[in-house]
Amino acid sequence: MLVYLTRRLFWLVITLLVITAITFVIYFVLPPVSPAVLFAGKEATPQLVATVQHELGLDHPVWVQYLLFLKHLVLGDQFGWPGLGFSYVNHSSVKSLLAGRVVVTVVLAVGAALLWLAMGVTIGVISAIRQRSVWDRLALGFAIFFISAPVFWLGLVLLWVFWYKLGVAAGTGYFPPGQYGLLTWLDHMILPWFTLALLYAGWYARMTRGAVLDTLRQDYVRTARAKGLGETRILLRHVLRACLTPILTMFGMDLAALVSGTVIVEVVFNLNGVGQWVVQSVTSDDIPSVLAVTVLAALAVMVANLIVDILYAYIDPRVRYE
Amino acid sequence: MNTRDETRPAGRGLGRRLLAAGGCLLLLALAACGGGSGGNTGGGSSPGGTATGTAVRGGVYRTAVTSFGLTNNMDPVGETQIGFAFALYDAMLRTLVTFRHESGTAGTQIVPDLATSVPTPTDNGLTYTFHLKPGIKFAPPVNREITSQDIAYAFQRINDAKLVAQYGYYYVGVIKGLTGKAKTPDNHISGIETPNSKTIIFHLTAPVGDFLQRIASPAAAPVPSEVAKCFNQAGTYGRDVVASGPYMFQGSGAVDIKSCSTIKPMSGFDPTKNITLVRNPNYDPATDGTRPSYLNGVQISVDPNVADIFARVQKGQLDGSMTDPPPATVTRQYLTDPSLKKYFHSDLINQVESVTMNLAVPPFTDVHVRKAVAWVLDKSAMLRALGGASHFSIATHIIPPTLPGGLAASYDPYKTPNESGDLAKAQAEMKLSAFDPNHDGKCDVAACRNLAFINISAFSGVDTVVQNDLAKIGIEIKPRDLSVTTAFTALFTIKQLEPMSALGGGYADYTGTYSFAQPNFGSTALSGPVACCNYSLVGLTKKQASTYKVPYPPTGIPSVDTIITKCEALGNGPARNSCFAGLDQTMMTKVMAWVPYVWGRNIVITGPTVSQYTMDITTSSLSLTRIAVTNHVTLSP
Repeated sequence: MLVYLTRRLFWLVITLLVITAITFVIYFVLPPVSPAVLFAGKEATPQLVATVQHELGLDHPVWVQYLLFLKHLVLGDQFGWPGLGFSYVNHSSVKSLLAGRVVVTVVLAVGAALLWLAMGVTIGVISAIRQRSVWDRLALGFAIFFISAPVFWLGLVLLWVFWYKLGVAAGTGYFPPGQYGLLTWLDHMILPWFTLALLYAGWYARMTRGAVLDTLRQDYVRTARAKGLGETRILLRHVLRACLTPILTMFGMDLAALVSGTVIVEVVFNLNGVGQWVVQSVTSDDIPSVLAVTVLAALAVMVANLIVDILYAYIDPRVRYE
Repeated sequence: MNTRDETRPAGRGLGRRLLAAGGCLLLLALAACGGGSGGNTGGGSSPGGTATGTAVRGGVYRTAVTSFGLTNNMDPVGETQIGFAFALYDAMLRTLVTFRHESGTAGTQIVPDLATSVPTPTDNGLTYTFHLKPGIKFAPPVNREITSQDIAYAFQRINDAKLVAQYGYYYVGVIKGLTGKAKTPDNHISGIETPNSKTIIFHLTAPVGDFLQRIASPAAAPVPSEVAKCFNQAGTYGRDVVASGPYMFQGSGAVDIKSCSTIKPMSGFDPTKNITLVRNPNYDPATDGTRPSYLNGVQISVDPNVADIFARVQKGQLDGSMTDPPPATVTRQYLTDPSLKKYFHSDLINQVESVTMNLAVPPFTDVHVRKAVAWVLDKSAMLRALGGASHFSIATHIIPPTLPGGLAASYDPYKTPNESGDLAKAQAEMKLSAFDPNHDGKCDVAACRNLAFINISAFSGVDTVVQNDLAKIGIEIKPRDLSVTTAFTALFTIKQLEPMSALGGGYADYTGTYSFAQPNFGSTALSGPVACCNYSLVGLTKKQASTYKVPYPPTGIPSVDTIITKCEALGNGPARNSCFAGLDQTMMTKVMAWVPYVWGRNIVITGPTVSQYTMDITTSSLSLTRIAVTNHVTLSP
């Protein structure tokens, strides 16, 4: 296992390097106009542009800039560790701008993930054990509806119904629990969590249903029944465990992808998260911010993959890493 | 084997248990949903009071914007975000002289602020002497009296190339010794004298008629060097701007200025999330005849969902909007409901949008083609495409009527029935052009095909109208709707020779017509290969064309430099206004590089808690120092 882990970590670093290099080329090399020109303002004389280029470190060769970027990432810069640079647009350290936003996005992603897991697996299991019944049909309808419903539409509808019309929900915005209390925080997160969770719950319900049905047909399940084990025990200890592998794979990937930002939900519910910020950064050519989020997203996906692979070994005894 | 039996639920008991678990989860969720709305942005209560028109001191104006759109992170030396940042600066910073900050032409009047009086220039307009009022202090954390050296330091920062003073060109070469090339802000400027702490004297290189308007800009507000010296990168001082006006960033008092390493960003300003202003405890209203300052504070948050902003206004969570125009459904709701109409404020501002034509690119090298474009465009349709008369007004000439020297709307050299365009006149003009060799009223040559028309999403509604109208005179355009950065980079890049755009104009840099005329029509604005905002290359010289490697048309390119220079030398008053009016007429009748189609309007929707609303013509925004609310929201300093 240790050898396996070391090998995976090595490839994680290589992959990160490739991703950051490609992103660097896209934003620093390909554009026809230097970012310094945008920074230099309205009457950008060549002297002013040169001054700005020097201040932003853009007068070095591209490969030097890239190496400096990596050095700061690993060792930190004047703003601390990790060194994510200086935002061209917000004139602040990218790290300070990103820190609070990561918390918001992680809260949104994890909360929604727990909800969709609970809803999706529950509905999937019920649907499987009540195959072809009314419950199964309802579950199918649920899944199809929420998979098809656009997230922005769902969010706006929930907001309009529960906040604007009925007044039972709290409205938009993120209210940190430390500052506003746990209830206010929860109040404002319920709708965004459900908006995001309902989409994924549909997928997970369908996937769980299929996996459970498949497993229930296995010989060992029949054997367990023949031996007199209760259905609850069979389902929870034998069937679900066997179904966990594909669910876990999907869960890891989905959660990792969300960490890099759930743009639409963040915009609809006015949550100052990573997704909303990275869209602003792309449209305003704030390259250091875009690079930082790219690194974060790539890291999140790769770490999630690694964790999922490790968990396989514990869930499924047949999986062993040499 | 009966598959169906095998897969029958593991006892109905399990199914029930799972359903029960799901039900509990749902109940828990619904219980958590049982929260109230509103009030928790500032710990305040529900809205109270009605818009009686009586201004009451107190309360907090709570609003939201989709983005701050700052250009220099609130560092006044480089901030150009008129409409938002400048509205905040009016509340936070005092300058030697200032505008009255009201609506209409009254708002453009220059009045003393830090200075005891508005000086008359001496020495043939080359010297301006200001005397400071005693006892005016900086806000916390500096807490000391403002001196003439603090104002001089502001100009030294403009002079520092690293700090990228975006409006530096209004001072560079104007004030003696201010070159814009200094390496630090500590370099004394020879043209600025501070013989004592209460006197500052400016020596100019040549008479500049609107020098007082330039001194009223936020970049010229006093800056305490003991704080600003710690920020030697552009924009970084913005998070610790020390106020001199009635308001300051919340948390200013908590900043430790003992040394550069102890200075932390003020908590009331997060560049991507919120800005909170509270009263400056050192502000003395007796020294300020301009700012009533009714509010106890201002709370501005970023909300990227524009519909949500206006929903929150309607629900009472916000007191009003600020910079974002409302969605069409909201506009319709407010304009058609008599009980809501009084909360819909739409005021003309110093903004024009024009179709620009590049004078170095055929067929626009020919003035007859340009005039034909002016005649054919259906401005009424363009106005409707942009939201109608509540959002914009049809522009009949370039310089907005709200600027000094701006002609009245009745001056309309291309007047057509219902402003819908006149094809006959357009064709008659086109027939005079060399690009219509068969004189059929349509451009017949290849130069009239596939012309890029640069635009951004805010104005993309006019694309189809312009495309259809120009097709009638044989000009085929390809609308290219780009992101703001990409569109303006393309237009700024001289070598790219973009033939047309919908983006000529924008806002005046300050409330002075020179700030509109020079950047848009002066050849000196073409100061580098990438420069704003003379997209039509008016006044491009042969030497510049050679330097930037663009073709120079054999017929030449008209210039209005002489007129701009002549107008700029005139002092504020009727002669200057008349001169700039003449520039507008020349641009419209002789040069015709731009076809203005709309003048901007600032739209703000307020809630019932706003008891007084005033638009500030100089910031093109609501006036934070004149608005009043009746909510009981409070803020900690």
